[in-house]
Amino acid sequence: MAAEEHSTGIAEHLQYWTYSFQQNLPVDERNPFMQIHIDTMLVTGFVACLILGFSAWLKGRIVEGAPTGAQNAVESIVGFVNDTVKDNFPVHNPLVAPLALTIFVFIFLCNFFDILPAYLLGHIAEGLGAPAFRPVPTNDLNLPVAMALVVFALVLYYEFKLKPIHFMKDLLLQPFASLLLDSKNPVVKFLGVLLIPLNLTLKLIEELAKPLSLSFRLFGNMFAGEVIFLLIASLLLVDNMHDLMSFGGIVSEIMGLLVGLAWSFFHMFIGLLQAFIFMILTVVYLSIAHQPVEH
Amino acid sequence: MSIDLTLVGQFIVFITMLLLMKKMLYVPLNDAMEARTQKIEAGLAAADAGLEAKAKADADAALQLDAAKSKAQEIVSAAERRAAEVKEEAVIKARLEAVAIVDAGKEELASEVSRAKQDLREEVAGIALQAAEKIIGVELDAKRHASLINASISKGFDAA
Repeated sequence: MAAEEHSTGIAEHLQYWTYSFQQNLPVDERNPFMQIHIDTMLVTGFVACLILGFSAWLKGRIVEGAPTGAQNAVESIVGFVNDTVKDNFPVHNPLVAPLALTIFVFIFLCNFFDILPAYLLGHIAEGLGAPAFRPVPTNDLNLPVAMALVVFALVLYYEFKLKPIHFMKDLLLQPFASLLLDSKNPVVKFLGVLLIPLNLTLKLIEELAKPLSLSFRLFGNMFAGEVIFLLIASLLLVDNMHDLMSFGGIVSEIMGLLVGLAWSFFHMFIGLLQAFIFMILTVVYLSIAHQPVEH
Repeated sequence: MSIDLTLVGQFIVFITMLLLMKKMLYVPLNDAMEARTQKIEAGLAAADAGLEAKAKADADAALQLDAAKSKAQEIVSAAERRAAEVKEEAVIKARLEAVAIVDAGKEELASEVSRAKQDLREEVAGIALQAAEKIIGVELDAKRHASLINASISKGFDAA
């Protein structure tokens, strides 16, 4: 019974603070796309304002001499990102390093909200009248997908811009048709033409897998992390003071505290790792798009 | 888990942040880092050039020092040679002067001896005349007998 209550509580905390643009329609008839997650927008807006405010503050204090304080710390991050891009990127593109830096910093700071106690922001938001609140925006699929689609769009743009013929050939003729079209036998050639839709389908799946894997990897990791946080936090939930002071209650509280603490440290590492993975894969995908054509 | 208009919102947030972060943070910071790197590289190059210049200057100084040492050695050798020459000249001159002094002394001595002999001859002649006058009791002609007496005395001096 208590387990059911806890699972209901966890499910409640996995709800977004949603606003529908079709308020006049009954709930069943509303288009699920025509809504917005206010909590995700608020937190990402807050993080963006934080980063941009800090950037504006730092911009006026940048010195060419020996850096100190905040500049020193940010230079370490920028240097790390620059080194990563230099190691993985064959040519110079002025957009790639800033993109990688933005992705790394933004994802890391969004993931950092997971360090806050699991139910804290939710309870505060409920106290202020919000129906629900999810504090970690990377748990919302919309953010990873948006970033992954930006990366995907850039990859397609550079593929078309730098090697359009090669990319189109790759899209339509790989992996089967190329060999068949090279044949002198007209029947085999015709078969090759017939296989073009299959090639296109396979190539589209291959290309679409990139943004999908990019976004679902981040979302899945962070979502699973939050669920585990909620499960650990539920160890601390007791119905009354009598339960709290009982032997089982005390053991449960101590276990919850210790496991929660350990998981917090681990999840901090996961958040950092996921930010790095998203960044490095972005650089790698763009690097592949910039690779010269081999003849 | 649903895709909705939040996606559009996140697009806007992410692209805005990308553009602004590039303009406000990445570019100025990267420029400062590159400027610093160039400054450090220029400093290191200048330090290398300074080290090279120092090595060259040290080599030049060593060469000049060697040249100065050999020149000084030459001057010292010449001075020593000159000193030896001057010393030799002085010795020769002193010897010549000594010989001249000795010769002059000898000449003077000879003339003195000759004069003394002459004086002595004259005195002996006078004494001989006086003695002869007393012995024979007559006055002798000094001028006439003097040459005779002198010749006898000279014979005696020469025999002595």
